[in-house]
Amino acid sequence: MNMKWLEQWFEKIEPKGRWSWLGSTYEAFHTFAFTPKAVTRTGSHIRDAVDMKRSIIIVVIALIPALLFGMWNIGYQTYSADPSNFNFQFSIFNLWWFGFLRMLPLIAVSYIVGLGIEFAFAQYRGHEVNEGFLATGLLIPMIVPVTTPLWQMALAVAFAVVIGKEVFGGSGMNFLNPALVARAFLFFAYPTHMSGDKVWVAADLWGSDAIAGATPMGVLSSGADISIFNSQFSILDMLIGTIPGSTCETSVIAIALGAILLLFTGIASWRIMLSVFLGGGLMGLLFNAIGGTTYLDLPFYYHFLMGGFAFGAVFMATDPVTAAQTNTGKWIYGLLIGAFAVLLRVANPAYPEGMMLSILLMNCLAPLIDHCVISRNIKRRTKRAYVGTGRALSAEDRKEAHNG
Amino acid sequence: METHHINIKKGLDVPLPGIPERHITDLRSIDLYAVKPADVVGFTPRLAVAEGDTVCAGQPLVTDKRDTRLYLPSPVDGVVHAIVRGEKRKLLEVVVKRNLAPIPSPSKREEQTSNGNHSPLLEGEGSGVRLSPVWWLLRQRPFGTIADPDAKPKAIIVSLRDTNPLAPDIDYTLKGREHDFEAGCQALDALAPLHLVRPAGPHPAGNVGTQIAALCPINKGECVWTVGAQDVATIGHWVLTGHYRPERLVALGGPAAKAPHYYRLTAGACLSRITEAQLLDPNYPQLPTTNHPLSTRIISGSPLSGTTVAPDGFLGMYDHQLCLIPEGDHYEFMGWLMPGLNKFSFSRTFLSGMLHDFLPKNFNFQFSIFNSINTNLHGSVRPFLFTGSFERVFPFDIYPLQLIKACIVGDIELQEQLGIYEVEPEDFALCEFIDPSKTEIQSIIRNALEVLRKEATA
Repeated sequence: MNMKWLEQWFEKIEPKGRWSWLGSTYEAFHTFAFTPKAVTRTGSHIRDAVDMKRSIIIVVIALIPALLFGMWNIGYQTYSADPSNFNFQFSIFNLWWFGFLRMLPLIAVSYIVGLGIEFAFAQYRGHEVNEGFLATGLLIPMIVPVTTPLWQMALAVAFAVVIGKEVFGGSGMNFLNPALVARAFLFFAYPTHMSGDKVWVAADLWGSDAIAGATPMGVLSSGADISIFNSQFSILDMLIGTIPGSTCETSVIAIALGAILLLFTGIASWRIMLSVFLGGGLMGLLFNAIGGTTYLDLPFYYHFLMGGFAFGAVFMATDPVTAAQTNTGKWIYGLLIGAFAVLLRVANPAYPEGMMLSILLMNCLAPLIDHCVISRNIKRRTKRAYVGTGRALSAEDRKEAHNG
Repeated sequence: METHHINIKKGLDVPLPGIPERHITDLRSIDLYAVKPADVVGFTPRLAVAEGDTVCAGQPLVTDKRDTRLYLPSPVDGVVHAIVRGEKRKLLEVVVKRNLAPIPSPSKREEQTSNGNHSPLLEGEGSGVRLSPVWWLLRQRPFGTIADPDAKPKAIIVSLRDTNPLAPDIDYTLKGREHDFEAGCQALDALAPLHLVRPAGPHPAGNVGTQIAALCPINKGECVWTVGAQDVATIGHWVLTGHYRPERLVALGGPAAKAPHYYRLTAGACLSRITEAQLLDPNYPQLPTTNHPLSTRIISGSPLSGTTVAPDGFLGMYDHQLCLIPEGDHYEFMGWLMPGLNKFSFSRTFLSGMLHDFLPKNFNFQFSIFNSINTNLHGSVRPFLFTGSFERVFPFDIYPLQLIKACIVGDIELQEQLGIYEVEPEDFALCEFIDPSKTEIQSIIRNALEVLRKEATA
């Protein structure tokens, strides 16, 4: 494909002189169209083909199965709650089309507000625009109820980008997952729009009215009997995701497809993903051992299928900026996220879902975990300096250093 | 003297085309040679000769202002042809034109009997010690300076394998010089315990830094010396004959080389005859958007950590490798979105990497990957976002990302705690290569080490 004309066009419109303050915006669009021609100056003369844009776009692609299914499920939930509210002829595609039209404004608001602020900050600082928000901006509409009013969405995104990220210096400098900051903002600022039974299913194509439709955890936290629960939600429903919930978090299968891509490309840490499930499972088993109520007796794997557990484990906990950064730290971080999430679900009567708060809590603790892990390395080095003998290390010494 | 076989698992072999073939062109007849003080870390040069002076091989051309015992010798008999200075009159090169007739040396090595030291590399005692012309080939870690004759190194490490992309085969380069190599080993072993290391595994297994970390990691206040394998033979030749003949087999490779193979050169040789023969390949297209006078970059040293030289430049002081890599200063349309069957990446974010594990081992991607090997940065500079990949190519008991960040913020205490003394910039070359943030990691480490070195010597 000969894109010479576009190259020349970009070179022609490059802002100069009195327009040079627009440099960040120009650079963002230019590098979107073309991988820059910059060459190495120091150090390694050759470089790996991967860059930040490529890495972030893999995350966006991994979100697509959950996004497409979530759109379909929006239509399906509305239709199955009350077919008369469904504005279209019934068909598999129209179910999806309904959801697509519901999701589109949410996604558009998220990207316009978020990218607007990102561009403004980049211009102000003279930085290049970071790609991180391409993933964040899609994640936010995927983890809110479909009935979230657009103005709330706009406020939440602005809060997340400014307070969650930019005040610390932008992508890579934040310590809280910005998408979860947005959700937490909504959760605490507008609790009536974010929880209960009347937010998860859209009443019609437009507006923020909702039809009653309980989520699995809503049913459980109301103290329902296990037989009632089972009559409403089968394992297969929860696996496929044909249940009420936040827009795109319900289908474990669609999320698993994304997880496979993230793990295969190595973009997400398998240590974190695995340990979140391990932590949740262990906590679930512990509660089973205590027993007594429906929730305590719930088989541990139900926790993986309900609510945002799978979505959080795959897409939120693995955010590399806000997770622990050492390999040992990642295990601890993931285990605790899983354990706290299940603990909050079962033991806390105030909030049915614990995943968001659990991840945000562990975001705060991740630096401490890393500090402890790295301290061990430092101690080992200090100790070695004192016993330093000038001899070559023995095989056992080497093994210990390697394992540690 | 001890030979170690170590096995390194973490790392990456970057598959570069243009592997040097095993035949040799003898170019010891090259006329011009240069000594480049800037290649030697921590060396503050003071000229010992003037333009037009006659010098013999091994005679000091520049001495170190801080420690006047250290000097860089002329590689050949000849006449000082030019003294090249750069910005702020920084001494860049002392160029010597080779004389065809040998010049009798006024100061040949004295007989072993008059030598109080047990090593033939040192003459005399204490501060009056005289160093042999091969002394500069010994390098000291931490910092990578010329070995301090007063230091007590806990080991001398010689790597018997270079794992850099397109690197020469050390065994091949030592062929015919076994006798010299043996003598060199004995001379070094008299200075400190000598460890010859024959590593297995991917790059950076062949880096001395990796080997030191595996055998005898450096603590604060300690030091280790390292010598290149071919330089050991040079030392041995000097010990045996009293002649300073710094010869090297240099591997020339890379996708832009016409006929990659080995050259027999003397250290500091002018490269113009080699580039004339290898470069300017009519089949190699001049890139239309190029801002460079040449569409090919000439690298003295490894493509992962070498230095760019001009077509009529000189071989780096310690280098035994030359690479010709195409410049990559051109745009790529939607490069971040393309499937990327022709991209090489350590990550599996491109189709080439995704398919790599599924297709038969002998499936040849290289026809396409070849096209994407150039000096393009392949992206824009960003803050560190992703974690965990550096550790996969960094076989040290060190947290690489944390050490890099400590270097960026200039926290010296933290750098020491995290193991700065165990590393050199080249140990981070693979981290820099795979980094999606395109951070200049090697210069960050170099700058941090320079601050530490200046504090230590102040």
